Amino acid sequence: MAETQALDLDLSAVGSARVVTSAFKQRVESMALGTAVIVLLLIIWELLPYFVSMKQGTRLFFTVPSRILATLWQMFASGSIWAPLGVSATAFAIGLALAIAAGLPLGILLGRSNTLNAMFDPFITAFNATPRLVFLPLLMLWLGIGVWSKVAIVFLGALFPLLINTHEGVRNADKLLINVVRSFGAKEWDVARLVVIPNSLPFIVVGLRLAVGRAILGVVVAEFFGAQDGLGVLMVRAASSFNVDVVFAGLIIFAALSLIMTGLVKLVEERMNRWRPQRAATE
Amino acid sequence: MAAQDLPHASFIERYRNAVLGGLAVLLFFVAWQALFLIVPFNPLFITKPSLIATGYVDLLESGDLLHDLAVSAVPFFLGLFAAVIVGVPLGIVMGWRVRIGYALDPLMTVFYASPLVALAPLLVIFFGVGTAGKTIIVFSLAVFPFIFNVSSGVRAVDRLLVNVVRSLGGRERDIYLKILFPSVLPYIVAGARIAVGRALIGVLVGEFFAASEGIGHAISRFGDIFAIDRMFACILTVMVIAVVLTEGIRWAERAAFPWRVGR
Repeated sequence: MAETQALDLDLSAVGSARVVTSAFKQRVESMALGTAVIVLLLIIWELLPYFVSMKQGTRLFFTVPSRILATLWQMFASGSIWAPLGVSATAFAIGLALAIAAGLPLGILLGRSNTLNAMFDPFITAFNATPRLVFLPLLMLWLGIGVWSKVAIVFLGALFPLLINTHEGVRNADKLLINVVRSFGAKEWDVARLVVIPNSLPFIVVGLRLAVGRAILGVVVAEFFGAQDGLGVLMVRAASSFNVDVVFAGLIIFAALSLIMTGLVKLVEERMNRWRPQRAATE
Repeated sequence: MAAQDLPHASFIERYRNAVLGGLAVLLFFVAWQALFLIVPFNPLFITKPSLIATGYVDLLESGDLLHDLAVSAVPFFLGLFAAVIVGVPLGIVMGWRVRIGYALDPLMTVFYASPLVALAPLLVIFFGVGTAGKTIIVFSLAVFPFIFNVSSGVRAVDRLLVNVVRSLGGRERDIYLKILFPSVLPYIVAGARIAVGRALIGVLVGEFFAASEGIGHAISRFGDIFAIDRMFACILTVMVIAVVLTEGIRWAERAAFPWRVGR
């Protein structure tokens, strides 16, 4: 996916004769084209009502970018957005923190012990393949429709990318280095501290990036189906009262948060990978 | 791990991981069943494996489970099919025509990164609670893994092959049919593995929202009436289906494209 893509881009840049023009020119062209398409689509969308006549019923569902932006602006200006956003952010932060607290130690443990790994493998495979959404009705039954069922969904979504990537990073640790440290009398804890954890950090960061995306998705769906408060609830209520602007405004907020946070993690990732010859694997 | 490579390793050694995994699953269910010998059992809150098994038999005998699965399968496969039909050609073109790639990549990235599930309420209102609404949700979630995987597959194509085809007088169409399409096949399968998970989310979201049948609806209805045993039976069914689909595709990847293993 995105990772292989980045890798392959380098290859094609080297391999193809088409891309011998300066990298700067190429970057400008790619940015200009990409922006132009988005702007063009927005303009077409904006002008659509002037060209296409719509039935009364369809107009109920229809909105244009300028109205969405106005709604978005109004939500921030009046401050009405902060309360639901805060509720969603709380569930997101608690769930992600719990997932990190549980996923990293468990990943290291499973990476270091073949027996434990073999025993946990069926459960990890099953939970990772299943959309966590399927547990939502059950979690609502157990935890109510407050913040905790949301936290649980976020936790379940974010746990597995972290766990699996940590495990992968630990397994990837150089056996020679481990043996050297052992020869000098290191205990299991020293092996972890000196070799295993530094080696698996880039993997963990990739896991974190995937986990952030899953966590945001978790907040959205959990709030759609069982919650009293939050940005997702706002959107569902807006949708059922045909307030389409608010739905799109919410989508934009979620998308922006998702892009910003994965972007931040990606910065850390690139910083860490700068001196590394090979990239960390994803999933 | 190493034991698997040795030809003369004993049965236990060779299948050590599978045996350990199987034992762990068995142990889990036994412990779950045994737990309620000590802890008081509250059927409104939790269930145990024996009751789940009874619930399963009920659901199978009445045919409800199979009916719900059949109802959910239609939008799932229709949406996935449409995602392949649209995603693969779009991915090939985006990967091969550099400028089209530049033009569409940011747009697609925005769509891929944004939680499109958020549009589900709107889609359900617009297209109704039936197959059409669910299919569109499934499609909009499942199409992006295909686009991105296929276009990165095209970018990884060996330029030498392209030059050979061109030197021998091949046209653009030959490049598409003889090089690009065959070489992105493994990437399509890899994309399918991710798309299947997202498609399942799409079906469930559509059915949790508003539906009168389907496996997602069954789960939330059994939850509403506190029929926890049958709810667990449905959840376990979804888990088994998800594992079979994902691991099945993984197996197909290994079997059909063995040179890609480990990438």
